[in-house]
Amino acid sequence: MSYAHPEYLVDTEWVAAHLKDANVRIVESDEDPLLYAIGHIEGAVHVDWFSVLQHPLRRDFLTKEKFEELASALGITNETTVVFYGDKSNWFAAYALWLFQYYGHQNLKIMNGGRTKWEQEKRPFVKEVPAYAKTSYSAKEANKSIRAFRDDVFKQLDQKKPLVDVRSPKEYSGELTHMANYPQEGSTRGGHIPTAVSIPWSQAVNEADSTFKSAEELRALYEGKNIKSDGEVIAYCRIGERSSVTWFVLKYLLGYPNVKNYDGSWTEWGNLVDAPIEK
Amino acid sequence: MPLPQNLQEIIEMIASMSRAEKLETLIGYAESLPDLPERFKAQRDQMEAVPECMTPVFIIAEKDETGGIQFHLDIPPQSPTVRGLASILLNGLNGATFEEIVAVPIDFYQPMNLQEAVSQQRITGFVGVLSHMKQAAAKVK
Repeated sequence: MSYAHPEYLVDTEWVAAHLKDANVRIVESDEDPLLYAIGHIEGAVHVDWFSVLQHPLRRDFLTKEKFEELASALGITNETTVVFYGDKSNWFAAYALWLFQYYGHQNLKIMNGGRTKWEQEKRPFVKEVPAYAKTSYSAKEANKSIRAFRDDVFKQLDQKKPLVDVRSPKEYSGELTHMANYPQEGSTRGGHIPTAVSIPWSQAVNEADSTFKSAEELRALYEGKNIKSDGEVIAYCRIGERSSVTWFVLKYLLGYPNVKNYDGSWTEWGNLVDAPIEK
Repeated sequence: MPLPQNLQEIIEMIASMSRAEKLETLIGYAESLPDLPERFKAQRDQMEAVPECMTPVFIIAEKDETGGIQFHLDIPPQSPTVRGLASILLNGLNGATFEEIVAVPIDFYQPMNLQEAVSQQRITGFVGVLSHMKQAAAKVK
C-alpha cells in the first residue's frame, strides 16, 4: 500500500537533484526563526511563520494581497513547484504548505524528513541568501474547505463527526493549560473538545529520521481510533501548527477527502465562553 | 536591587536596535554560546532542566572564587533562538551574586522589545530559562 497522493512528498535525494531547477522553489519554514540564518539548503528561501505568515493585527493569516506579495518576492510563480522543509519533523513546513494551499497554490510538496534527515545524511547547509527576480503572482480566494472556524467545530459536534486532538497527552487531559509564568499565553480552561480523540501528531512520524510513517502504519493509527476516510475530520492542537502535520497526513498520505485544520485550536476553544469541554 | 550591570548593558544595547539587528545579535549570541565543559558532561542528568522550552535546555551553576555564580548551559545547535536568548542571560548573569540573580524580575526582557523579532512562546522559554537559572544558582549559593 502506498500513500494516496505520493506527489505531495519528495525525498532529500530529489531535493538535492533539483537545487538548480528554475521550476522548483525550496522553502524553509521552521519553528526556530534563526535556523535558516545559521544554515539552509542551497538556493532555499525562508518563510517565518510568526513574522511573515500572520496578519500583523488580527488573529488571522496574512491577506491574499500580502500572500501574493510574499510569493512574488520569493520568486514563486503560479506554476512553480514549491517544496517545504523545516525543523521539528516539518511542523511549520506543513503549516506553510497548508497556508499555500489555502491561497490556492498547486504543486506543493514536503521534503520527507525535513532538516533532520538532510543533516543526518550530512548534506550541506549554506549561509548565502539567494535573490530571485520578482514574479507576478495571483492567488485564489481563500479555500475555506481546509480551514475550520469555531462555528464549524460546533457544527461538527452537533453532527457527531470526528475531531482529532493532536496535542500531547497532558494537554489533552487538561493537566497543562499553559506554560509556566505565562497564563495569558495559554487558555483559561484545560481539557479537550468533547468527543475529540487523542492522536498526538508525533505518532505519524518516525522518531529516528523525522520521516512519515508508512501508509499501513498511518492507516492503522487513525482507523484504530475510528478516524475513517468516509467522513469529515477536523484536527486541532494549540495554535494550529502541529495539527497541520496531521491534516497533511490525513489528506495527502491517506487521501481522506474532507479534512480541515482548526487553527483557532485550544487557544481559542479553551478561552471561548460557553464552549463545551471534556476532561 | 538594580539588575546585574552586564545584563543591564545588554538590555540597553538590544533595546536600541532595529528588528533586523536584534535577529543578527541573537545569532551572534547563539553562535558564541560555549559548549558545556567536559567536566560537567557526566552530571548532565543532575542538571536543571527547562520544561518551558520545547528544546532540551540544561543548566548548571557553580560558585567562583569571588563568590559570584557562573552558569554553564547545554542547548542543542538545532535551536539557535533558544541558544541566543539563553546566551544573553549567561552573559548578563555570570559573575553576579545569588542575591542579584534572584532579584531579576520576570519582566526584565520587556525593554528589549524582542516580541517584534520572536514569538511569545520564545519569550516564555526565555523567562523559563531565567527561573531555572535562579533555581540552579540556589543549589550552590
